[in-house]
Amino acid sequence: MPEASPHAPAVRLRVPRFALALPAWAWLVSFFVVPIATIVWFSFGYKPGLFGTHANDVLSLDRYREALSPTFFTTFQNTLWVGLAGTGLCLLIGMPTAYWMAVKAPPNRRGLLVALVMVPYWTNFLVRTIGWQVILAPQGWFSELLQALHLTGGPLEILYTRTAVLIGVVYNYLPLMILPLFVAFDRVGGPLREASKDLGAGRWRTFTRVTLPLARPGVIAGTVLVFIPLMGDYVTATVLGGARGNMVGQLVASQFQTAQNWALGSAMAVVLILVIAATVAVIAALAWVVSVPIRARHRLVLEEVA
Amino acid sequence: MTTAPDTTRAPSPEREQDEAVVLSRVSKLYGGLAAVDDLSLTVHRGEFLSLLGPSGCGKTTTLRMIAGFEHPDTGDILVDGVSVLGVPPHRRHVNTVFQAYALFPHMSVAENVAYGLEQARTPKAELRERVAEALEMVRMRSFANRASTQLSGGQQQRVALARALVNRPSVLLLDEPLGALDRQLREEMQVELKLLQSRLGISFVFVTHDQGEALSMSDRIAIMREGRIEQLADADTIYSSPASAYVAGFVGQQNFVDGVDAGGGAVDTPLGRLRTTRGTGVGVGERVRVAVRPEFIDLSAEEPVGTSENVVRGTVIGVAHQGETRQFLVETGSDAALLVRRPTPLAPALRVGDTAWCRWSAEQVHAFPHDPERSAAPPTAVPDEQPSRPHQGEEHPR
Repeated sequence: MPEASPHAPAVRLRVPRFALALPAWAWLVSFFVVPIATIVWFSFGYKPGLFGTHANDVLSLDRYREALSPTFFTTFQNTLWVGLAGTGLCLLIGMPTAYWMAVKAPPNRRGLLVALVMVPYWTNFLVRTIGWQVILAPQGWFSELLQALHLTGGPLEILYTRTAVLIGVVYNYLPLMILPLFVAFDRVGGPLREASKDLGAGRWRTFTRVTLPLARPGVIAGTVLVFIPLMGDYVTATVLGGARGNMVGQLVASQFQTAQNWALGSAMAVVLILVIAATVAVIAALAWVVSVPIRARHRLVLEEVA
Repeated sequence: MTTAPDTTRAPSPEREQDEAVVLSRVSKLYGGLAAVDDLSLTVHRGEFLSLLGPSGCGKTTTLRMIAGFEHPDTGDILVDGVSVLGVPPHRRHVNTVFQAYALFPHMSVAENVAYGLEQARTPKAELRERVAEALEMVRMRSFANRASTQLSGGQQQRVALARALVNRPSVLLLDEPLGALDRQLREEMQVELKLLQSRLGISFVFVTHDQGEALSMSDRIAIMREGRIEQLADADTIYSSPASAYVAGFVGQQNFVDGVDAGGGAVDTPLGRLRTTRGTGVGVGERVRVAVRPEFIDLSAEEPVGTSENVVRGTVIGVAHQGETRQFLVETGSDAALLVRRPTPLAPALRVGDTAWCRWSAEQVHAFPHDPERSAAPPTAVPDEQPSRPHQGEEHPR
């Protein structure tokens, strides 16, 4: 390369700084904004005939009226129940597990433990869920074992019920809860817990006053990561919940695939999105309201001195 | 320091006895290796005691056993005369200032200080008063409502101190609390810590690897090595009458020469026959290690007249100005050069390459039995500066 003279005008291509964000924007627009906008657009249309899937020449809110019919409302309710119970169970199981992994387990084993949490997640989703179908079947080995041990009177009657769906979703989404919780607990670190104990707080007080408040971002991340995909879950519900259609995800899928009514499916999908957003907002507000008196109890503001 | 009323001293009857903490024949093993080895130590009421030693000597383990974070494999620990074996940290009347302060980042300065009192279910009014008082004591009252994450290292240090002292512990444990501060702030905090300690009358157990810190603050210093206490005495005694070559080398600097006892206070060394008025502690013909401090060696360009005792001729191979003192390195023909330190006004005008005569009084020569078990040469000097830790960026308080 020839030596540039110090007086030569600097020829530099100035690229605006946001250029680096372009791929991300392109990705977001083409894979998120456009599909969602399409769904919203379709939801205002109708199914033109037996062989058509959607038409938008007449716009109306009729599909929403259909979507909010009592049958669908029951399913929404059911979905919400599975979503809340599933997330709650994941939190209940994930919290002690993640705490143990981050705090109690020997530090040199933590990598292995994280891998063990991840391995099932890397295995095919459907295969694992069908595995549960085998286990929970009334003629399955688990049912027979329980009967042999005289723990149940008759064959296991769980498959194709809401309980089976709940077991399935908890199993499938648990890693998404454990990992952010693990990271959060791990980041709190030993010295702060020791300082708390040194100042007279027992294990439980240390957990509620130091570890948990500092791990809050992880709790929020885990809850959101589990709750949102769980509400839209379709595979687990189909395999373990059977044809009864317990979850909205199944309803949406059946409108698109079986009934070929894209307009109604879209309306249901939009309602689902709104319900999830509203639920998250309500839970966040509730959590905040509950935390107000707790925070007030520990707040200490001394009068300012000159 | 502001002079807040001295209410942090709690005169309760069970604290009348003189021993705040007693460690009796305590050992702690890590994978078969003794981190603390049959150690006995008494911390008196109101005493500032330092545990001084290089990293890995067991000083932090000892501190953590008193706090309750580690449990001794053998031996007993008494706090206020009562055994605390099996007592969890939160039930011990002992508080710690941690190395990296460990302030709770989600609480304000005042809430951090209040934490211990809250655990003790102190009434709110008393709690407010004591928190304010403790913050005043460390001159952090005006920072009470700040987030603890908005403080500089020195300020965090003060808050950590207030957070521990507000509980009026029987003994305050400090785990290298000044290590993360820059030099000037560290020296200032040393003075403050000592003042605070003597005013409150609470026993301090201070862990450090910095001899300067230990010497300037402590009533007594325990020099630790390989899980044992090598010497436990006040700073003067440790400086003037070290119990072993290790202690001699760890506190201050020493010139060490190995030799053989020639009887009558004489030792034959590569530097010639050296004399000491102190005993060698071994029989004639046995190996000894002779030590003399650089500040006790006199240096001149001419051969001293009238005496040939402890006189060594050499060549100056290095001169270093150090402000109030000047250091000379004198090659004497043996493998080790002698380090000589003279006050600048009294320093001879010698340059590198000049011939110089070193002489010293026989009273300043220590001789230690050669220690075959621990033959590793003791450090001649402890580095003043530790590799910097992540908490730098100090601002000067006030």
